[in-house]
Amino acid sequence: MGSLLGDWPSYDPHNFSQLRPADLSSQSSKVTPVTYQPTHSRTLPPPDQVISTETRNILLRRFYQKSEEKLCRKRAASDHLTPEHRCKQPRGTLAEEEGY
Amino acid sequence: MSVWNYAVTAHKPTSVTHSCVGNFTSPQELNLIIAKCTRIEIHLLTPHGLQPMLDVPIYGRIATLELFRPHGEPQDFLFIATERYKFCVLQWDTETSELITRAMGDVSDRIGRPTDNGQIGIIDPDCRIIGLHLYDGLFKVIPFDNRGQLKEAFNIRLEELQVLDIKFLYGCLKPTIVVLYQDNKDARHVKTYEVALKDKDFVEGPWSQNNLDNGASLLIPVPMPLGGVIIIGEETIVYCNGSAFKAIPIRPSITRAYGRVDADGSRYLLGDNAGLLHLLVITYERERVTGLKIEHLGETSVASTISYLDNAVVYVGSSYGDSQLIKLNLQPDAKGSYVEVLERYVNLGPIVDFCVVDLERQGQGQVVTCSGAYKDGSLRIVRNGIGINEQASVELQGIKGLWSLRSSTNDPYDTFLVVSFISETRVLAMNMDDELEESEIEGFCAEVQTLFCQNAIDDQLVQVTANSVRLVSSTTRELLHEWNAPSGYSVNVATANACQVLLATGGGHLVYLEISDKKLVEVKHVQLEYEISCLDINPIGDNSNYSSLAAVGMWTDISVRIFSLPNLELLVKENLGGEIIPRSVLLCTFEGVSYLLCALGDGHLLNFLLNVNTGELSNRKKVSLGTQPIMLRTFSSKDTTYVFAASDRPTVIYSSNKKLLYSNVNLKEVSHMCPFNSAAFPDSLAIAKEGELSIGTIDDIQKLHIRTIPLGEQARRICHQEQSRTFAICSFKNCLTSNEETEMHFIRLLDDQTFEFISTYPLDTYEHGCSILSCSFSDDNNAYYCVGTAYVLPEENEPSKGRILVFVVEDGKLQLIAEKETKGAVYSLNAFNGKLLAAINQKIQLYKWMLREDGSRELQSECGHHGHIVALYVQTRGDFIVVGDLMKSISLLLYKHEEGAIEELARDYNANWMSAVEILDDDVFIGAENNYNLFTVRKNSDAATDEERGRLEVVGEYHLGEFVNRFRHGSLVMRLPDSESGHIPTVIFGTINGVIGVVASLPHDHYVFFEKLQSNLVKVIKGVGGLSHEQWRSFNNEKRTVDARNFLDGDLIESFLDLSRNKMDEIASSMGVSLEELSRRVEELTRLH
Repeated sequence: MGSLLGDWPSYDPHNFSQLRPADLSSQSSKVTPVTYQPTHSRTLPPPDQVISTETRNILLRRFYQKSEEKLCRKRAASDHLTPEHRCKQPRGTLAEEEGY
Repeated sequence: MSVWNYAVTAHKPTSVTHSCVGNFTSPQELNLIIAKCTRIEIHLLTPHGLQPMLDVPIYGRIATLELFRPHGEPQDFLFIATERYKFCVLQWDTETSELITRAMGDVSDRIGRPTDNGQIGIIDPDCRIIGLHLYDGLFKVIPFDNRGQLKEAFNIRLEELQVLDIKFLYGCLKPTIVVLYQDNKDARHVKTYEVALKDKDFVEGPWSQNNLDNGASLLIPVPMPLGGVIIIGEETIVYCNGSAFKAIPIRPSITRAYGRVDADGSRYLLGDNAGLLHLLVITYERERVTGLKIEHLGETSVASTISYLDNAVVYVGSSYGDSQLIKLNLQPDAKGSYVEVLERYVNLGPIVDFCVVDLERQGQGQVVTCSGAYKDGSLRIVRNGIGINEQASVELQGIKGLWSLRSSTNDPYDTFLVVSFISETRVLAMNMDDELEESEIEGFCAEVQTLFCQNAIDDQLVQVTANSVRLVSSTTRELLHEWNAPSGYSVNVATANACQVLLATGGGHLVYLEISDKKLVEVKHVQLEYEISCLDINPIGDNSNYSSLAAVGMWTDISVRIFSLPNLELLVKENLGGEIIPRSVLLCTFEGVSYLLCALGDGHLLNFLLNVNTGELSNRKKVSLGTQPIMLRTFSSKDTTYVFAASDRPTVIYSSNKKLLYSNVNLKEVSHMCPFNSAAFPDSLAIAKEGELSIGTIDDIQKLHIRTIPLGEQARRICHQEQSRTFAICSFKNCLTSNEETEMHFIRLLDDQTFEFISTYPLDTYEHGCSILSCSFSDDNNAYYCVGTAYVLPEENEPSKGRILVFVVEDGKLQLIAEKETKGAVYSLNAFNGKLLAAINQKIQLYKWMLREDGSRELQSECGHHGHIVALYVQTRGDFIVVGDLMKSISLLLYKHEEGAIEELARDYNANWMSAVEILDDDVFIGAENNYNLFTVRKNSDAATDEERGRLEVVGEYHLGEFVNRFRHGSLVMRLPDSESGHIPTVIFGTINGVIGVVASLPHDHYVFFEKLQSNLVKVIKGVGGLSHEQWRSFNNEKRTVDARNFLDGDLIESFLDLSRNKMDEIASSMGVSLEELSRRVEELTRLH
């Protein structure tokens, strides 16, 4: 008979096939798992997998990225003669742009 | 001086915060992994249900738990991040069954404001990056390289400051996050960002959605082919993916957890704050979402995590009630519910308050906790050891021995109970009405004391007396054969099993008989050099009727010897040392490991590992169980063998994970015991104690026994009153009155045996119960319950009005005797010099109990002390008052009788936000604060300057990793006055995660010894995930981090006993003590809880 909810997924049909509802009035799940006490050496991570955050802060990183980009662009643009001028436009133009 | 403290867990955290499912332990195995605050548990899905595999302590409070599958790996890895900004990636090594650390790291930033809404840790579904949101305005990225190795982490600025949730979207070319946030006008929106790994920055994502439900708080990313995200609000649920937008209204509720059902992401289980479980279905046509549907399934505990396991079985993890394993049925039951609860997993958290009582007046404390929240609120009675529930008893003086017999070899039940006295033997039998009545076994000799009796093969019974061994038919009950002791000798001790009898007569004669059909055959006789004190031939080999070993205890040389049977050849002689003779020996097997137990006349018990082939004894251990001679006897319960040690402190010995454990039994003194499994009293024990024979059933065998009293409402304060044998609690529940949900608060009276509500006093509207106390006053011997309340009005930041109510219990009812209005919340009440000491907002106030002219009583204010931010926790000792402040740590006040004034003597100037305080001794006080630390302070009354005297010196600091709500003096175990641990003062604490722990104040030399052990153990037992023990236990709050001092980690120290033999040897030799001595000292500590 079909259900309103549809069928429930099954990965391994054996899982839970023998499980019967426990007597809920009694205490269930008494089995306590073994507590793990690692004494082996692979508990320590491989030396190259001890991760930390890069120390350079976001603002500095931005500055460096910008200057590197500039450097790249400079090198890439060295064949051309004109682009340098874009940065050295008269103040008036900039001021106008900012105004809007 | 209680400066040197030992903090240990008696009951591990049970509150479940996270869970996930995947192939962790092998590519074929499906695992459920559960986080319980500072521990993870790995379970295996099996046909019989969830099988626990491993409990893994983590040196941190778990903030994130995720399983993921790096490219090319056959099984999942586990990512764990802790609240103190550490993370690790764990892999299961199937060959060695060990956890391997693949990576770990520190993701803290020096500058940054920790997020208000908790830490977020997520993994890109295509395993390109791990994303962390730990500080406002920052998103941390840990990239994977193409070999699945982690690379250096970096931060990206996140414009949104009030983030509610972040998830990775499925099926994106670049890792893409969706952020649910609140703007500064409190409106909520979602936005997407692509993570540009090269530029280490965000790029505006493919879409955003503004103006969502004001209660939107949870994002569910939907796998491909649908993609997009579900946004769960309080009144609507929305699906959106940039092109499609679908919304459905829901009944107002706060969804706290979700679990994906189908791999394609078309169905989800949603759990809300009322414990209702819903199924959310995405309907779609040709990979285009057409709508959402929501279906009510039923009720569970309030879920903090939901994991769909397999075949309609779902794990519901809860921090407010018991976690559950549920089955989703296809058809609803009569009540319309699709949910069937298969199993419950006990959770004590949150423990808001508790009291320590001795209900059975046995000298052993029981803890009664206020556990659970809202509808899952309950009281839990937590008791160490095992309870015997008496079914029947009869007065009988002078019992010298006790045996049960079946009427035929194959009878499943016992019929006879043989009771031996100094000069007679009586036989009791179950009659037709299931009553015990006097009976007779004709072939037995009834006129003398029985030394031993036993069911033998072929429907025969054996009785050993001082003069003879009698073999009797159990069907005709007639004597079949008799072996007589040689004249001039009498049998002193004897033992038998189904086929064999071993006895000893005076002069050191050891005689071995075998039982055949209707005949006793003397097989062997040897003479030993000294008298024999005890014997055992309990079969522990393959043949359950026949033993090939005999254990013999000796007078004079104080030894125990192992002989082979049938030829009585001496295999092993073990000198016990000392001058106390062995009184009882027992061969037994627990969990496939064979032991020899040997009990001495002074209440000590030795145990050895026994090699059943050679009789060799090894791994000697000694524990103290009581002060009187012990009689050992095995019994079975639920197909498991246990040993009962009858003595002045009766104990059950059992094994868990191949370690012997000792549990107290809730009886005062037991001289003899035998299992008695009759039809009327199945699985019972017959017990001889103090002039009484009783039959009782035994609780489930486990170290801590927990009984649950569901309340259906949340209890916040509890206290016990000896005189009226009642408990009183402050509790509340949410009630629906004219469509508006309001909290109703009550004072309830409960019978301390049945735990039934016997009387209720409802508080006023808006009035909360804040404190409760049972006390008496000067010149008035009546016992009263005093209750402190607060009127919590919606418009007030801090209560400005409260009451103190004084009740007396009359005819099982709470009678209000007096009430006193206060100018604030009464956070704490203490009995103080026959008066009542209250903490009311910023003030400590003392009230006298005055007699009015008309004979009635009233509380009259005597004096007070100002100067606190909020005085939350108060403890007193003599005239001293210790106050735990909301944010100003601990201060010490003194009541001056002559002046009738309270003055401050000293304070701790640290800014600790307190959660509990207790007085350890005259000079040392312990506090717990809201960053999960413990600390101790000492009064400096001998200091030279006023300034120093006015300062409480911090003497101990420790990161417990648990939020302590209450300390109480007391002990969960019977304290033996003669043992070392009997003199160690202890306080018990209870925490939000359901931990019950013990702080024990050790003598200085003990402390030094165990501190050395701890530093040795840290080198051997490594932190899972490479996390450091030293860092974990360091005291840490927003302001400072300092190494732990004057506190020892009892959990680490006691794990010594779980180490392999050679690791233990290694540690013992580096400590310069014998292993036996070291084990004994650690075991002594384990008996503090």
